Amino acid sequence: MSSRVLTDFDLLLPGSLEEALEILDRERGAVTVLSGGTDLLVMMKAGFEADKVMSLALLGDLNRLEFDSATGLRIGARTTLAQLVDSPEVRQHYPALWQSARIFATPQLRNTATVVGNLLRGSPAGDCSAAVAALGGTLVMATAGGGRREIDIDDLWVSYGVTARADNELAVELRLPAPDSGTASAFKRLTRVNEDLAKLNVAVCLQMDGDTCKSARFAMGCVAPTMIRLPAAEAIVQGAKVDDETLARAAEAVQQDISPIDDKRSTAEYRRSVAGVYLKRAVQQACGFA
Amino acid sequence: MTELKTVGKSIERVDIKAKVLGTAVYAADIKLPGMLHGKIVRCFEHAHAKVVHLDLSAAAAVPGVVKVLGPKDVTSKTYNQSVIDLMASKTEGAMLGDIEEQHIFTEHVKFWGDGIAGIIAVSEEVAERAAKLVRVEYEPLPVYITPEESGHPEAVQFTPHKPGNRAFQLPEEMFPGNALGWGDVDKAFEEADLVIEDTFYTPKQKQCQMEPNSYVALYDDSNRLNCWTSGQMPKLVHEKIARLFDLPMSRVTIHQTVVGGGFGARLGMVLEPEICAMALAVPGRPVKIQQPREEDWLTSPSRHPARYWMKIGFRKDGTPLAVDAKSVNFKGGYYLDGSALASTTGFWLQGMYKFENLRYKGESYFTNQPVCGAFRGYGNPQTNFVLEQMIERACVQLDLDPLEWRRKWHKETGDMSWLNATPYTSCALNDCLDRGAEVIGWAQKRKKYANQTGPKRRGIGVAVGNHTSGAFPMILEHTTCTVRLNEDASATVLVACSDMGQGAHTSLTQIAAETLGWPIEDVRLETGDSDANGFDIGAHASRTLYVGGAAIMKACQDARGQLLDRAARILKVNRDELDIDNKTIFVEGEPERSVSAVDICRTGIYNFIDHATGLPEGELGQIQAYVSYKPDQNSPPFFATFVELEVDTETGEVELLELVSSHDIGKAIHPAICEGQMEGGAQQGLGMVLTEEMYFDERGFAINNSFTDYKMLGASDMPKMTSILVENGDPYGPFGAKSVGEAGVVTPVGATANAIYQATGIQFTQGPITPEKILHEIRKRGLTYD
Repeated sequence: MSSRVLTDFDLLLPGSLEEALEILDRERGAVTVLSGGTDLLVMMKAGFEADKVMSLALLGDLNRLEFDSATGLRIGARTTLAQLVDSPEVRQHYPALWQSARIFATPQLRNTATVVGNLLRGSPAGDCSAAVAALGGTLVMATAGGGRREIDIDDLWVSYGVTARADNELAVELRLPAPDSGTASAFKRLTRVNEDLAKLNVAVCLQMDGDTCKSARFAMGCVAPTMIRLPAAEAIVQGAKVDDETLARAAEAVQQDISPIDDKRSTAEYRRSVAGVYLKRAVQQACGFA
Repeated sequence: MTELKTVGKSIERVDIKAKVLGTAVYAADIKLPGMLHGKIVRCFEHAHAKVVHLDLSAAAAVPGVVKVLGPKDVTSKTYNQSVIDLMASKTEGAMLGDIEEQHIFTEHVKFWGDGIAGIIAVSEEVAERAAKLVRVEYEPLPVYITPEESGHPEAVQFTPHKPGNRAFQLPEEMFPGNALGWGDVDKAFEEADLVIEDTFYTPKQKQCQMEPNSYVALYDDSNRLNCWTSGQMPKLVHEKIARLFDLPMSRVTIHQTVVGGGFGARLGMVLEPEICAMALAVPGRPVKIQQPREEDWLTSPSRHPARYWMKIGFRKDGTPLAVDAKSVNFKGGYYLDGSALASTTGFWLQGMYKFENLRYKGESYFTNQPVCGAFRGYGNPQTNFVLEQMIERACVQLDLDPLEWRRKWHKETGDMSWLNATPYTSCALNDCLDRGAEVIGWAQKRKKYANQTGPKRRGIGVAVGNHTSGAFPMILEHTTCTVRLNEDASATVLVACSDMGQGAHTSLTQIAAETLGWPIEDVRLETGDSDANGFDIGAHASRTLYVGGAAIMKACQDARGQLLDRAARILKVNRDELDIDNKTIFVEGEPERSVSAVDICRTGIYNFIDHATGLPEGELGQIQAYVSYKPDQNSPPFFATFVELEVDTETGEVELLELVSSHDIGKAIHPAICEGQMEGGAQQGLGMVLTEEMYFDERGFAINNSFTDYKMLGASDMPKMTSILVENGDPYGPFGAKSVGEAGVVTPVGATANAIYQATGIQFTQGPITPEKILHEIRKRGLTYD
């Protein structure tokens, strides 16, 4: 049962990235990182006890959003969903990400919630998570003393709510690859009402050569403990002409990739019934068929 | 009638500026010097259990805790948190079986979240910390979610007053055979050409009023118990609190704060007993309770979930021969207004169509779920979901046009109304149907959607209904009103009618201003103070405008009459020869023979002696008028809703395209407020039929007691909407007005279900009709694609 009162906690406000990394190094798992706070504060009101909360509020240079046609898109740890929605480059070059951001939660939450926070929440329902999983990319992790490593998005989600982030690491930036002229992507989701968490979401990114798909990345949410790729469906589409027949087979193959459950938002039966339909529609949308 | 100056105009609402600017004072805004904070300790371990041992010592030892209260530290008197029982006579109440079985803190937990103790502390934080230290030993009891489970002969009894855990059935003394209706239903079915029957389920829907429940109470140094609350029925709560704590009503004051939405959730009491018990425990110190939304969800009453069986028989030509129905309601843990809902669900059935024979049975059984009580529509949306789908099915099977069938067989002016006791005073339902059908393009679309191919299928549906304008003749109806003309002739209208956000105070002010002949700025409603205000049964039964408005109108007519009488004596004419304009009273046709209303009012108060004559300058006495008004009529509004939608047959998703509602409201006192009621009602009706339901797991724990997982339709989910006001005038309502408050929620329910039926060829009996249910049925039955 939620409380109207947050329990006591120490708020840590590092003034520089280095200071933040030192705190993480010192405190290890004892500190919880606050970025947008749209999940964390709700969890704390519901009883999640965070004794020490480190806010990124003063780290101004983490809210970058930079596109370069050669190297791709860089999204800072504090970059909000609203920033993505306002970006013509994201809209043009990363339709799946833009579409997921545009309908994410509510306008108020989009002003605060961050893309990287959505990834690190480790929820199988994250809308931006689905888009990023389909687009591919890496999350840049920093540690004290100048340590850096990149985690491939495919390796980020370990299990429900658990990521590959080590407890002394701070995710500083998300990097998405540059698209080429044959890149097509789209995002779709099903919800109970428009402003809602997904009961199923799907994002696709295809490298097209005319009607033929050279390679494909499909991601689906709310059908497994983590956001997942759909390898069986991808295999059918890759190298094939993207037509009704291929899409029908891909939609069928989704069943092999998913393991949905009944929960508050929907049923396993329903998710199985619509997963293929929504994959098909997302591909059609990406390729401009629909 | 002379031209109306204020009534009929969408003037600026009297409360709007404060609400928009955020300066309106809700109970949560109240901060008093020395205020303490109360926390109710609730049972979240079980949905059904006995408290074997309660240890408050650790909680009491927390620094900052002022008092801890267990069941034995507060009054042992029991009560009923609803107030409907006050509105039946003793004899009737006994026949109906109304009971008072609630304790402020219980030792028999009946639902998940039932209150077992109270903490009073210097801050909310301390109170919460202490609440976590309360040690309770429970004896778990079997959890009953359905009437079958709780009604089992071996089930644990919720209260000795209700054997078999049957909270209510229509009483034999009032309804022979425990049924209401007329004729011989069984015989009629034998003669019918078509008989269909089915069992439906309507969900436990929550009102989701915007303001969560907050309360402040203070037992002050004059030995008076004060309670600040946003209840929608302050005068009845006034009496209930006085009774519960054995205080004369003169020592209890209910201060009604701005009400942030009611919809029935505040009908009667919610936490008034708990907050007042706390205040009495710490005399001289105010105590405040602010509930988090999740707890609000569990402790204020919801709509009753119901299983609803219906069988109807027709002749080939569509003549409705008979309807037989039974609704079994899931009552939740306590009785509340247990006698009323199961009855009214049947009243709406008997009020709608000209069935030659009718039988309805209504029952309620206790269940281990949060309490059920009043919710906008009060059984009407449930009946609409069932009846309108059954009618639709019959029309399809008999190959009859569903619009034409409704036009032909609905009850009319002069037919017996929903209680089967008084006739309908006016009915413009055919106008509603005609105008609504035209706006939405019913005939063309209905035909067009009859044969569709492809995965997306459209449908258009219609449903009709009627509701009530007040509680007469079912239960008590009564509003008192005092009108006082001030020194400058402006008017203070003392009345206890509640504005729950529906705009009643604006419409009521318009009625007062129009009746007096004053501009709106010169009239003020004084409400919300149980000492200053006389009796009023409170805001329910869509009565505030129809009954409260009529009371105000009569009091204002009286005040105006007194003013005219004085003017007539001054001008030496008959009162009927006078008229008022711009606060000047003049002889009709001779405007130069006039007297100022301000002068009359002023000299009545500042009653000096004229030194020249030695006589008073005018008649002594501040003009005041008082009425105690009980209506002897009820003018139910009729209404129709059309819904057009599209079903995605591959996903079961429903896209709402258009909704048109037309209401026979008699006269719109404030058209924009009426439209607001219709649109807001549509949002709740659409939610009930498509998305809204409180879910519980097998332990009886609520799954979605918050907005995260209880989904109402938001602005972007709503279809294009048109609200049509049909204003043919009613002979009894004030300025011809009938009610509009609850009505809007009713017919969107049936119309949406019927539109889904046309789109898919499938009727859904289990509400809400979610994509999961739609797709399941489509996959099971297959869809014809040619």
